Amino acid sequence: MRVELVVNGDPYRREAEPDVTLLSFLRDVLGLTGTKWGCMTGDCGACTVLVGKEPVVSCLQLAQQVQGREVTTVEGLERDGELGDVQAAFVSNGAAQCGFCTPGMIVAAQALLQRNPSPTEAEIREALSGNLCRCTGYNKIVDAVLEAAQALTGTA
Amino acid sequence: MSGRWSAATRDPALPDLFVPESLDDAIGFLADHAGSATPIAGGTDVMIDTRLGRVSPEWLVDLTRLGSLVDRQIDGEVLRLGALTTIRTVELDPQLARRAAALVEAARVLGSVQIRTMATIGGNLCHATPSAEMPPALLVHDAVVQTAGPGGERSLPLSELFAGPGRTTLEPGELLTAVSLRVPAVAAGSCYLRQTVRWSMDLAGVGVAAAVEVAGTTVTRARIGLGAVAPVPLLVGEAAEAVVGTTLSAEDAARAGACAAAACSPITDARGTAEYRRQVVAVLVPRALRVSWLRATGSWPAGVPAPINGVLSRDAA
Repeated sequence: MRVELVVNGDPYRREAEPDVTLLSFLRDVLGLTGTKWGCMTGDCGACTVLVGKEPVVSCLQLAQQVQGREVTTVEGLERDGELGDVQAAFVSNGAAQCGFCTPGMIVAAQALLQRNPSPTEAEIREALSGNLCRCTGYNKIVDAVLEAAQALTGTA
Repeated sequence: MSGRWSAATRDPALPDLFVPESLDDAIGFLADHAGSATPIAGGTDVMIDTRLGRVSPEWLVDLTRLGSLVDRQIDGEVLRLGALTTIRTVELDPQLARRAAALVEAARVLGSVQIRTMATIGGNLCHATPSAEMPPALLVHDAVVQTAGPGGERSLPLSELFAGPGRTTLEPGELLTAVSLRVPAVAAGSCYLRQTVRWSMDLAGVGVAAAVEVAGTTVTRARIGLGAVAPVPLLVGEAAEAVVGTTLSAEDAARAGACAAAACSPITDARGTAEYRRQVVAVLVPRALRVSWLRATGSWPAGVPAPINGVLSRDAA
């Protein structure tokens, strides 16, 4: 079955089995390994990508079901070799330890900031409640998203 | 995770996918493959059940291209939501926040943003989980589901859809196509509250929905819906009748709570004991009735959700 997607702005057309998940399509067919293979039951959020502007867990999404849509992965958030605002804020706040949850966290935070450019701390925690981190205790992640919001709205 | 699935391109645990071009195609395929084909929409239950071996269909039938299942129409007091309406769409709908607050409150605590973006209202109903968030909220809005199957179309009250944990009364090949609910614009209010151990990414230990309609200072109509305290989501009619004709004093609301607690049949499991759940019902029902009353009488800011445990800041003072 043919799968056609626009991923990080580039159109792709590939043959794939009909039951391939979006996660497998991104990682194993396109070689975009930034999106992580975590729990495979939608609980951990490590495989979060954007379909359109909305975050989904790509382990539960069949590639076939998002035929023709625009998909953004963590690789798509950098621009011309420069980190995006959310990525840069994660670096400057030390918001990663092992780093496995980080791509999903960053993509989920990006989705939040596109909808709500100046979220409260509570809104950030709610928006990231589907992304598990077993290292940081979340505080630095919340700090990073607050800083990214300030950078995006020019209030830093 | 064990080696149950590998990083191979083809996820070995998944069945084949059939992508119908029309509703009739989908119904025909499901009827021809009764027992071996499962419909899939958002996939947030079906994919997990399949991976974990709880179900093992030979076919998944993808409903997501069936445009007729995504419509949304309002006709007077009746709102019709297509089965593919996502939980996130319900959560963010400002008209629903004013006229079906219980539904929005149930939607906003379901899973995570990612899960709500994918999960559909039809899937949440047809999975028939006793603790699902949407059924109690829909029940208090007098929801009726529309179906289409090999024998044609039919409508049934939502309470008649559920047959038991994970089981519905749908026939082989029959699909839920839409749910219609009553959403009065004035002098009416509803509310959904729940008890959980974790506030995110957890199923309800107890879910309680209420809806009231008020004339002057008297309740003229009431509904109380319960989740996670019986094999199926419940409408508890006797408890609701207990507040009709009253001014919903604290005593009236408490009587409804006690009546609802007596009417349910919870089990003891990881999310709580049967005794605890019964007590939570007795506590949450009066709170949900109070918020519904405040909404119906214009004493609650439009579109603002209630705290999920129903405790108002004035209670702490």
